[in-house]
Amino acid sequence: MLGKGGKRKFDEHEDGLEGKVVSPTDGPSKVSYTLQRQTIFNISLMKLYNHRPLTEPSLQKTVLINNMLRRIQEELKQEGSLRPMFVAASQPADPLSDNFREAQPAFSHLASPPLLPADFVSTMPLESCLTPASLLEDDTFCTSPAVQHDGPTKPPPPALQPVKDSFSSALDEIEELCPAPTSAEAVAAESAADDSKAQPSESNIHKPEGLLESRTAESKLMDPLPGNFEITASTGFLTDLTLDDILFADIDTSMYDFDPCTSATGAASKMAPVSADELLKTLAPYSSQPVTPNQPFKMDLTELDHIMEVLVGS
Amino acid sequence: FLGAGGGNDIQWCFSQVKGAVDDDVAEADIISTVEFNHSGELLATGDKGGRVVIFQQEQENKTQSHSRGEYNVYSTFQSHEPEFDYLKSLEIEEKINKIRWLPQKNAAQFLLSTNDKTIKLWKISERDKRPEGYNLKEEDGRYRDPTTVTTLRVPVFRPMDLMVEASPRRIFANAHTYHINSISINSDYETYLSADDLRINLWHLEITDRSFNIVDIKPANMEELTEVITAAEFHPNSCSTFVYSSSKGTIRLCDMRASALCDRHSKLFEEPEDPSNRSFFSEIISSISDVKFSHSGRYMMTRDYLSVKIWDLNMENRPVETYQVHEYLRSKLCSLYENDCIFDKFECCWNGSDRQVEFLSLCTSDLSNIVMTGSYNNFFRMFDRNTKRDITLEASRENNKPRTVLKPRKVCASGKRKKDEISVDSLDFNKKILHTAWHPKENIIAVATTNNLYIFQDKMN
Repeated sequence: MLGKGGKRKFDEHEDGLEGKVVSPTDGPSKVSYTLQRQTIFNISLMKLYNHRPLTEPSLQKTVLINNMLRRIQEELKQEGSLRPMFVAASQPADPLSDNFREAQPAFSHLASPPLLPADFVSTMPLESCLTPASLLEDDTFCTSPAVQHDGPTKPPPPALQPVKDSFSSALDEIEELCPAPTSAEAVAAESAADDSKAQPSESNIHKPEGLLESRTAESKLMDPLPGNFEITASTGFLTDLTLDDILFADIDTSMYDFDPCTSATGAASKMAPVSADELLKTLAPYSSQPVTPNQPFKMDLTELDHIMEVLVGS
Repeated sequence: FLGAGGGNDIQWCFSQVKGAVDDDVAEADIISTVEFNHSGELLATGDKGGRVVIFQQEQENKTQSHSRGEYNVYSTFQSHEPEFDYLKSLEIEEKINKIRWLPQKNAAQFLLSTNDKTIKLWKISERDKRPEGYNLKEEDGRYRDPTTVTTLRVPVFRPMDLMVEASPRRIFANAHTYHINSISINSDYETYLSADDLRINLWHLEITDRSFNIVDIKPANMEELTEVITAAEFHPNSCSTFVYSSSKGTIRLCDMRASALCDRHSKLFEEPEDPSNRSFFSEIISSISDVKFSHSGRYMMTRDYLSVKIWDLNMENRPVETYQVHEYLRSKLCSLYENDCIFDKFECCWNGSDRQVEFLSLCTSDLSNIVMTGSYNNFFRMFDRNTKRDITLEASRENNKPRTVLKPRKVCASGKRKKDEISVDSLDFNKKILHTAWHPKENIIAVATTNNLYIFQDKMN
């Protein structure tokens, strides 16, 4: 709060940003305008998705924050900041419909916070951690968005929900460590573990050779769908996630691939993901490496431990 | 107000303060609404804990002509309880959002109180006599053996200590999917409206199982929702006219005679945006938090985050007057957005129709010529429409010497701070005055800080 001197520094900083009316076309102030816009964007996302009230959140507040995000999104679109492959979803986040559906299924609040259109996330400067579709097609070791396929990787939804809830709360703890906005689809990071979208090609290097064969078999089963990179609200669970990048980037996902069709390998531990130790091993070489230049986020390995415990089944 | 002026300038003095002295505020004690009744004799407050506390003004003491009657607790009752919506697995807050008094028709008093979902009609009645001398009952209520009754007598009423009872007479429930923000009693005193974020319903005070939807702005696809209803009020004289304000800074005036569903407004009041003030937060600060008709109904006042605007009902394209409440916050909007203060809903109110003011009204066009609204740091502001003067006062226990005139306050926006001025960075944004009320007939005001109720009155000579 703006108490006595409590936020003086921030205020002064903010004064510099917002004291004057800045338009995007001003030369030297364009940077501060962009910076301010970014700050407001981050704050807005945090407000929408980090808030877990016991009572229904204020619809007015939600609508106003939503409008703010939409406006920024429009601006960015006009400025051409969006990568062409990310088609802006026309729908806004629907915290509105989720919270106020007239007859909501009892579990709906577990699924909330609601889906965030991926373009909100994509407008974040995360391009460096997103793998272009073309790359993925070449990469036989990367699993494509497995959730698309009915057979292999469809986790039983009912079982998923309670896990999601505790998982998402565990992720929330991590989110607090993360300065960048995160999306609610962090809950889907579990299924995103199967996704290869976050896999930069470096992951190839660290693939255990013993798994080569199984990987090839896998990739035949799961066709990479470059089209999946058209992120719309309907495929929100496949959204390339900020948190996902941080947690699972550079990690060989085959180790904890949930694909039941995978022939006998270590990955046949199916629904039992790798132990925390194994994950930590794979992470260790990368812990000093920030995932993206924009996210100098130091992973707390104990947090990851905690997540794995939750995944394993509490 | 400030300095020498006409003899009509009001000098405000501290009168009373109600509530706990602790700095540690219990959540349930947070005051959420304040309202005088039509005579001004009763002053009701609602709090976050769902309670209503009614204060009554002492009859004026003939010997103490230098002060008006004090307000003392008259009745306290639990109006709403917390509920649980099992379908959505969410709690329904018991916080009282609004209280509106009905005009008095008989010995009892009636008021409407509402939380997010349910409106209740309460009857507050006095009991100062009780019957004594029953034949079949003892005084303590035990039944007598009829065989012991040898004579008959007529029970008589004897005085007893005053007891004030509150009983719920009507419960108007299950008509709002969204959170109720306003209730307003019609000038016919038979119907009233209740407004939530997306809908406005019309009720008859006698009928609880039916209400009529008169405004519905819910889009077919909720994802297209960009605007919500923030406040609504009936016109003080025209029983078919009401207005509602929105989160985009517009006010719509509707006539119920035009159609059953007043989705098409009769008038739309909106001020075009000032391009020099444009910022990311333009929309949020334009959201109207309160709308109040003037006594005559010719004008209405709206409160948005930074200003109070007076509108002439005959002019839709801009307000006739705009008063800046705390313009110095304009450069702090980003911080205020981050700490959620930008979403604070300040109310506003008109002065009462004071005898003195009534005389003045021969010269001015309206009885309503002073507006009052709250700000941060326990400051509240008043604007005189005639003299164009304004004043900032503080509700604080430090000023609690009765009959001492309150010292005006000043906030220093930037640059060198003068003595007695307060810099913007020193303001306490936790101390906000959202609710104020003005006695309908006298210069007595009630100002609610977080958990205290201050009563100020003008200095009587």
